[in-house]
Amino acid sequence: MSQEEISLSPSHHRFQKRGFSCEKAIKYFFASNAGLTIVILVLITIFLLKEGLGFFPGYQRELEVYRIAGLEFVDISRKNLTAQEQLTSVLNRAYYAEINGQAAREMKRSKEASALFNAYSEQTGPTRDLVVNNSQAASDPKSEMLAILKTNFEKQKVKALASLPATPHLEKNERADLIESIRTRAVDSTEDPPLVAALAAELAAAQEKYAVPLQGMRATIDSFSSAGSELSSLVSEMTESVTATKEKIQGADILEKDRKTLLAAAASAKDLAEREKLTSEATASLAEKPDVEGPIQRLMERRADCVKAHQALQKTTGGILAQLPENLRQPDARRLLKVARATWPLFIADLEKTPAAIHAWKYDAPVPLTAAISSFLTGKDWVTGGEWQDFYGILPLAAGSLMIALVALIIAIPSGIGAAVYVNQFASPREQGIIKPVIEFIQAIPSVVLGFIGILVFGTLLRDISTWDSLQWIPGFPIEERLNIFTAGCLLALMSIPTIFSLSEDAINNVPSAYAEASEALGASRFQTTFRVVVPAAFSGVLAAVLLGLGRVIGETMVVLLVAGNRIKIPDFSSGLSTFFQPCHTLTGIIAQELGEVPLGSVHYRALFVVGILLFAIVLAINATAHHFVNKMKH
Amino acid sequence: MFDPKKLIRKGLPKGHFKDAAVRSLLAGVTYLVVIIAALLFGKIIVDGAPVLFKAEAPFVDFEFLTAKNETLHVFDDALGNRHQLPAAAYSAYLDKHPGEGIFNEQTFSYSGGGIAGPIVGTALLTIGSMILALFFGICAAIYLSEYAKQSPFIHAVRLAILNLAGIPSIVFGLFGFSVFVLAVPIITSTPADRSLLTFPLFFGNYFVSFQGWNSSLMAGCATLACMILPVIITASEESLRAVPQGFRDASLAMGATRWQTIRKCVLPFSLPGILTSSLLAITRVAGETAPIMFTAAVAAKDDLPWQGLKSPFDLLSSQVQALPYHIYTLAARIPSSEYTQRAQYGSVFVFLVLVAFLSAGSMILRSKLRAKLKW
Repeated sequence: MSQEEISLSPSHHRFQKRGFSCEKAIKYFFASNAGLTIVILVLITIFLLKEGLGFFPGYQRELEVYRIAGLEFVDISRKNLTAQEQLTSVLNRAYYAEINGQAAREMKRSKEASALFNAYSEQTGPTRDLVVNNSQAASDPKSEMLAILKTNFEKQKVKALASLPATPHLEKNERADLIESIRTRAVDSTEDPPLVAALAAELAAAQEKYAVPLQGMRATIDSFSSAGSELSSLVSEMTESVTATKEKIQGADILEKDRKTLLAAAASAKDLAEREKLTSEATASLAEKPDVEGPIQRLMERRADCVKAHQALQKTTGGILAQLPENLRQPDARRLLKVARATWPLFIADLEKTPAAIHAWKYDAPVPLTAAISSFLTGKDWVTGGEWQDFYGILPLAAGSLMIALVALIIAIPSGIGAAVYVNQFASPREQGIIKPVIEFIQAIPSVVLGFIGILVFGTLLRDISTWDSLQWIPGFPIEERLNIFTAGCLLALMSIPTIFSLSEDAINNVPSAYAEASEALGASRFQTTFRVVVPAAFSGVLAAVLLGLGRVIGETMVVLLVAGNRIKIPDFSSGLSTFFQPCHTLTGIIAQELGEVPLGSVHYRALFVVGILLFAIVLAINATAHHFVNKMKH
Repeated sequence: MFDPKKLIRKGLPKGHFKDAAVRSLLAGVTYLVVIIAALLFGKIIVDGAPVLFKAEAPFVDFEFLTAKNETLHVFDDALGNRHQLPAAAYSAYLDKHPGEGIFNEQTFSYSGGGIAGPIVGTALLTIGSMILALFFGICAAIYLSEYAKQSPFIHAVRLAILNLAGIPSIVFGLFGFSVFVLAVPIITSTPADRSLLTFPLFFGNYFVSFQGWNSSLMAGCATLACMILPVIITASEESLRAVPQGFRDASLAMGATRWQTIRKCVLPFSLPGILTSSLLAITRVAGETAPIMFTAAVAAKDDLPWQGLKSPFDLLSSQVQALPYHIYTLAARIPSSEYTQRAQYGSVFVFLVLVAFLSAGSMILRSKLRAKLKW
């Protein structure tokens, strides 16, 4: 209509007021409000970039200091040392898995008995302490009080004995005996009940028995573990000296920055005297150039020692693998041994390369800006606030976000789309009246409430379920951490189901009814119509729904912050499907967790903004693709 | 030769069992989602309702809603009786029973008293941000539906709305922190060092300093308003467009100006729809945690927002407690034990009831509106 009006009236109609009018002012007022959205989007972009872009030069300088001070040199050796320690730990775990796997029955029985006793002690402990403390100072006026305390204790005891945990692996009479021994136990007794002690002894005996055939393995592991001691002492020695150098350089950097601020203030000062004063202050604070050469030269002299230590380690390591037992009985132990065998050649290859790397290392090689960028994008460590060196590598966070999104989508796509198809094609109006509001209400639940449910209800439930004997065939059960990728993924699935459901339902609803009618007229059954005509016709809309659901999952903060477990480490993919039961950290979670604690303007602070920029870009790209599919459907 | 009876298939149609299986699978998936949701709420209601309700009249424990949030002290007295007292009552107890021993003392942060502070804080944040977002959002929607023609500007606005709607809430938190907390202008007599730009005013000893509003109610409201703006604009535009074109044509034909038409013939008919859909926006604003974490919320605060103020402006420039942030604190920072359950489940229950009321209200109003408004 507005188009017509314009076309009818010539640009200078004689009734039309020229110039500025009230009507025009109103129009421009509304237009400016609409423009506000553009302003906000631009402001978001500008301020994210403003705070974020300073990160790369700052990180470049940090990496430069890392190199000049010689930390990088020490890290060459340290990396091998850590790898050796990790391998030792894997072997140790395999060793204990083998023993404990064979002694599984004794282990469970002992654990259950002590769990039962601990549950009792936890409940009655405080009151018991009161009774014991007061009876030691057995003065007369307190005797009345002591009696009251004792009755309290008895009451507590009865209550505690009524609510003991289950013990599926103890015989009935054993359990009864244990409870009886707890009931008749003296108040001030500090010994464990006989059954607990007996089962512990039984376990120890079993472990000893099963350890006998593995003595060779034990000796091998010990010799491997001690092979690194020379390198270890060398590394800790060098660590001290390079940390001191680094501190000096950083101190000089701060002084230099202060000097620049003072000079800038001097340049803008109006008063001549003021200017003189500031300039003299600036010259006074001129930092001495820290002595880098001396320590670095001393470090370089240690190169031969380093190489020697590495060669010694390599020599021992090469023989270890042959001495390990061919195979172990327990599946867990077998898996761990396999992991060790698989990583062994890599470790040896690393050791072989190390002497060359040590000699090739140069403390004055320049660190280009691209090194900072690539170290951010492909870095495997996100280490902050440490004394050694801060690293800002995005990979662990991105991996966590992706794994969680994967779990969430695997659950949410079938259930969301399935529910949409069912509600739209098969459900009666009455069913629709129940299902739709419930799913709409799930959408309205604040994410922090879902996180709360995850941390207090769902996580604990999952851990309890994972200890059931009948579910032990699932990889990763029993789970070690109750907050992990899977828990977070389940809750995020619940969050994204409404998005996927309502958008897919819209898409299916928007398929012209002529399609379905034509299909039925041709004699297709209801199911053929639904799955061969209607759903394929709505495909791009459903795809858009899935993408928007993905955008929501990636951008969600509170649930992952509360439930993902917040361990900054790339999940250990070597453990197969049980990778999904490891804790992780996410892109969104790291911002929420660390922004409150970092100093303004520091490199760490800026790193968080770069993570924000990345997140912004990812989600915008996902949404743009989704809208592309929506538009495709419209045409 | 040709026997028409052969064409009529007897018994169940081919593939009946397969179809029935697929159908029941779909139904199973759907009801599984519904049942899981119901179970989760059931758990919250079973654990949370006892905190808020009690057996005798008036059946609602108003103390939980009206008391301040405090630290909870749990201890035994000399007789072995267990006491659970919030901080104020605890110090009163100590004054009343001097010299008596206290044993097994444990303290639980944020778990004593009630949740008056978080409720009031969330209400203030919601009201403030909804006022801002409704004003700017409705104005923008009026432009989009009443004035706009195809132009690059409109195209850009629509693109901006679409993109704003997809930005993760934590990015809004970063944006609010870097803009409203650290960069927006403020009039002050003592500009801070980190100010981006400072210039003096003509009167008094005041400066306009671009140093931000610090973490405050204002900053939080502004951040939330930016976040919810695209939702409000989209919903308002839809309601405005639902008013029949004939209304406008008739009004313009009678000689009314465009603004008169909007004010008398469009807005009154679309306002119910706008307000209904903004109820849903309220649930989103009230529930968001990430944007207010760094811009407005504080975990512990002794006074309620209006206490200890020198001027009304102080209310806007002070931090507030907020219910979602309080729940986050309770879930993440304190260990779960039998003494903290009251605070934890109680807060979540109150919050969930609030959200349920708002979204149910929105759903009911919407269906009524649809039944009523049929032009």
